[in-house]
Amino acid sequence: MFSVVAEEVTKVFREGRDDVPVLKGASLSIAPGEIVSLEGPSGSGKTTFLSILGCLLSPTSGHISIAGETLEAKRPAQLQTIRKRHIGFVFQQFNLFPALSALENVEYALNLKGVPGKAAYEQALALIERVGLADRAKFLPRDLSGGQKQRVAIARALAAEPSVLLADEPTANLDINVAETILDLFVELAQRDQRALLIVTHDPKVRRVVDRTVRIEGGRIAA
Amino acid sequence: MVDLGLKTLLHDKVRFGITTLGVAFAVTLVLVQIGLFVGLLDNSTITIRKFDADLWVTSKNSPNLDFVHQFPESNVYRVRSIPGVERADNLILSFMQVALPTGAEETTIVYAMKDFEPWGVPWRVQGGNLDDLRRGNFVMFDASAEKRFGSFAVGDYREVNGKRLRVVGVTSEAKSFTTTPLSFMAYEKAQELAPDLLSGKASYILVKLAPGTDREQVRREVARRLPHNDVYTSAEWATRSRDYWIENTGLGFNAFLTVFLGCLVGVVVVAQTLYASTMEHIKEFGTVKAIGGSNLDIYRMLAKQASIAAGFGFVLGYLPAQLLKPVIAQADLKLIIEPEFTVAVAFGTLVLCLCSSLIAFRKVASIDPALVFRS
Repeated sequence: MFSVVAEEVTKVFREGRDDVPVLKGASLSIAPGEIVSLEGPSGSGKTTFLSILGCLLSPTSGHISIAGETLEAKRPAQLQTIRKRHIGFVFQQFNLFPALSALENVEYALNLKGVPGKAAYEQALALIERVGLADRAKFLPRDLSGGQKQRVAIARALAAEPSVLLADEPTANLDINVAETILDLFVELAQRDQRALLIVTHDPKVRRVVDRTVRIEGGRIAA
Repeated sequence: MVDLGLKTLLHDKVRFGITTLGVAFAVTLVLVQIGLFVGLLDNSTITIRKFDADLWVTSKNSPNLDFVHQFPESNVYRVRSIPGVERADNLILSFMQVALPTGAEETTIVYAMKDFEPWGVPWRVQGGNLDDLRRGNFVMFDASAEKRFGSFAVGDYREVNGKRLRVVGVTSEAKSFTTTPLSFMAYEKAQELAPDLLSGKASYILVKLAPGTDREQVRREVARRLPHNDVYTSAEWATRSRDYWIENTGLGFNAFLTVFLGCLVGVVVVAQTLYASTMEHIKEFGTVKAIGGSNLDIYRMLAKQASIAAGFGFVLGYLPAQLLKPVIAQADLKLIIEPEFTVAVAFGTLVLCLCSSLIAFRKVASIDPALVFRS
């Protein structure tokens, strides 16, 4: 069974009176523990595809299944439920909450996913330790380096043990050494917990750790 | 549980300060303006409330306490003979002129009775004795008259309607809606000073009922015996007098306008700062959604921020309003902030702040989810 299944996914945006097709039948499956990178030029539909796989957007047509749950286009509330249960995001800009400490950023994500007070605190602490930031747990994001911020973002993405991790250019804002370390961490997290990992990237270093690379061009998966 | 809304609010202290001050300003504005309005209305009926009367017999269709026509003073005998009436006395209320040492003249509202004592008015005599009023050319002024009449003391003389009267006492708290100073003198003295208007006439008959008497029954009988007069209970007469000022002077509309403007200022400030803050943190809200939060989670966060701004703003607005009381009293004005009104303003502040947060929420609810991926 695949963790992620996308078949013939299309997405058409309305701009004024015009329909603009961005995805024109993209298909992709990712098995548990598999690491896939998604590459493509600007405007190829990478972000739209990632948004749909991450249940941030509904497709116009096509079939999507995440961790065995099929997405029904006419039930927008289902998007949030699937996102909450099965998906963790890592962003290029980290997207940490500046008012929360590293630990609280993770704890808050756990709270949103339904883990209450003390349990959330303990799980967040364990996740922060797991990404090697125990000594920076109480630091605000402004006091962390780029690599440390990305580690916090990864810890947050792991909140409530999602079966799918989606990463958008996770190494773009990091120097080479830090990027290598972060990629190794991704590999460890994907393989050890049998998590499907999709990395959208332009960074050739990512190819070193992925099981396969797919290209998207003109709204279709090319290879 | 991690409180993102609270932490974000406190993280940006300047913005939080501006929001809170905006709310506080609106709260102070509403409390002070309405408090002054209530204070003026309180003045307009304070003597009605202080007279220990169950019924007020007035001239026909009198609009309020100060604007009365006179009627024959002999009407009082028809009231006194009604079973159940313990006491009924004539009261004169009339505008008179006071000559000032400067040569200028000021108006005073004269209250005149044969005997004030049983009626409990004036209720606070600072110097002198009420009985002295009956003994000659004597008058009592309320202390609030000092601003208009210049300083005076017991033993001084003032000319009222051309007659030199000795000040035998000074009262306090006796005020009128128009801030015209109140004076107290003997019934016959008032008639002597304005014979054309007041000779053989009274302005009101005050009625005190015997214990256990059916008030409505007596009222009906007074109305039957005096068809050219009106009869009110004290509460009804106070309400009628107060309503006159609210409806006929534009003060009611002014109060409404003040509350409206206060609310508008509060809503605009809170809505603007919350909206600006939301726009600044829009990506964070997108992230909340991406990591599993719902629109409800976000609205709760915004609502909490608005509620905190409302709470702090209310306290910061309420304190200056209270501190202004003695300052306003020095200007001879009353600031009355009733507990019920305070609660209403607190509740209104909360509701308006929550409504303001809806504007920010609408923006968040419609954001493009892919926003989280943008750099």
